[in-house]
Amino acid sequence: MHGQIPELGEALQIKILTQNPLALSGFIIIVAVLFIAIFAPWLSPYDPNYIDIHSILLPPSVSHFMGTDGLGRDVFSRMLYGSRISLLVGIVAVGIATVIGTFLGAIAGFYRGYTDSIIMRFVDTMLSIPTFFLILAVIAFLTPSIWNIMIVIGLTSWMGVTRLVRAEFLSLRNREYILAAEAMGASDFRLISKHLLPNSLTPIIVTSVLGIASAVLTESGLSFLGLGVQAPQSSWGNILTDGKEYIQFAWWLSLFPGLAILITVLGYNLLGEGLRDLLDPKNKNQKK
Amino acid sequence: MIPMLIGISLISFFIMHLAPGDITASESAFNPKASEESRQKLRALYNLDKPLITQYGLWLKRIVKLDFGNSFASHQRPVLWETKDDKGNVTKGMIQDALPITLMINLIGLLIIFVLSIFLGVVSAVNQNRWPDRLITVIVFIGFAIPGFWLALLLMYWTGVTHSWLPISGLHSAGYEKMGQIAQYLDLFKHLILPVFVSSLGGLASISLYVRNGMLDVLQQEFITTARAKGLTENKVVYGHALRNTLLPLITIVGLSIPGLIGGSVIGESIFAISGMGKLFFDAVLMRDFPVVMGILTIGSVLTLFGNLIADIGYAWADPRIRRGITN
Repeated sequence: MHGQIPELGEALQIKILTQNPLALSGFIIIVAVLFIAIFAPWLSPYDPNYIDIHSILLPPSVSHFMGTDGLGRDVFSRMLYGSRISLLVGIVAVGIATVIGTFLGAIAGFYRGYTDSIIMRFVDTMLSIPTFFLILAVIAFLTPSIWNIMIVIGLTSWMGVTRLVRAEFLSLRNREYILAAEAMGASDFRLISKHLLPNSLTPIIVTSVLGIASAVLTESGLSFLGLGVQAPQSSWGNILTDGKEYIQFAWWLSLFPGLAILITVLGYNLLGEGLRDLLDPKNKNQKK
Repeated sequence: MIPMLIGISLISFFIMHLAPGDITASESAFNPKASEESRQKLRALYNLDKPLITQYGLWLKRIVKLDFGNSFASHQRPVLWETKDDKGNVTKGMIQDALPITLMINLIGLLIIFVLSIFLGVVSAVNQNRWPDRLITVIVFIGFAIPGFWLALLLMYWTGVTHSWLPISGLHSAGYEKMGQIAQYLDLFKHLILPVFVSSLGGLASISLYVRNGMLDVLQQEFITTARAKGLTENKVVYGHALRNTLLPLITIVGLSIPGLIGGSVIGESIFAISGMGKLFFDAVLMRDFPVVMGILTIGSVLTLFGNLIADIGYAWADPRIRRGITN
């Protein structure tokens, strides 16, 4: 049954990715954003924080691709540097969520019984608190900074991963190869890390990619409310917030950051859904 | 459910104590004459001098009686529900005022999400891989990725400022009280268009994708082949047999989406200046109005629990297998 389905490593090869236009377009977008983020200092024509009072609110032109903002800073350069923030926040926040979620889910699914009930009740409790309220309260009380944002988003978004890993573990736990390994005296740690976890990796990766999308949106929402990344550091969310004041006569300040967020989030969603399609055994069977 | 309620109250309570300093710090910061002694008095007044666990116990004892205390803001309104003072003056509760507004926007939003996403999902599934499906999928993915506040901003500018078709903030125009009944509804309707649209966009995308995939799954099953073999019309097969089976899990999804909807109201309500739960919460967080923050966190979570309970009951009611106690 599993013969036809590409493994995760294989799926990331261009050849197989091209089978799925969703995954491919998502992959291209993400690689492009990654490229921009890494090479921002070389790509940006100006210093993103250089204030030039002689060129305030210039519309897009050859010398300023995306115009300038209320302080005369080059929006294009600020956008390029902003990609670093959204990339960093997405990856670190989801990294934290994935580690916590996998750890708790693995323990719940492996030991079952009381451990499982306690962990799952905790998950249910966390799921019933409106997450954005929780994030907002914590960030506002801890003073907003990029590190706080990443940690808080991570700490409030691990529940989905826990449920997923637990479900995978429960279904794998009594397979023959696991029982055989257990009978041969493998330790709990070895069972989890060598046998159960590798076999649950695919859904974890798919969820994480989709999770990055929502982390990016959350960060930009927080920045928009003024509780995100603080000036002078530029993030797409706070460029947009600054631009909000000038929307009547400087549309470029509001248009470009929103588009950038849209395209990046779209990229992660496409890649995630595409990977899910590619790696899902059920889909392969349908196509035959 | 009781352990979860306790968990919720614990989390709401301890979040407040992440903040460095306490209310007396900001109060004395505004008043340079405040001495250490008077700060201690304030602390004792608010029970802040007691150990955390005692404070939690005291708070819990009050919220069990649905007493969420009064706001720290100068108006000192009760957080949850109206109170009467000795003279018989009624002060309305803050959540009492804000909750119906947020509920109204989200319930209308949910209704629209439901109707539209079922329509989009079914059209998409029936035309799998043909142009209507492709088009809907593209729209769905963009709807999923679009930052709500950005769209709100652009729409507000375009429909409100450049064209002045729609009002851009609040829920009522000036002079609302003097309008006739019908004019009042019309006014409210106009004010609701943008906020409801923005709040339902994300949910619309995810649920129509869900309906599409669910329909595709169900359409593969044998009872659908049987229904077709019986010679039922395609409409009957799709709407009578397939759709009903797809809708079942949707009930749970809607239950799970409640916290997102409530949480999402912060940005929408701040942009459109609507004084619902989201805006109330945001303002309270910025002012460090702890009773209000704790009250909204708790009430919001309890509402979610309640929504999930209703979803579970609805599921049991809608699924004949559960209703008649048949397992598989």
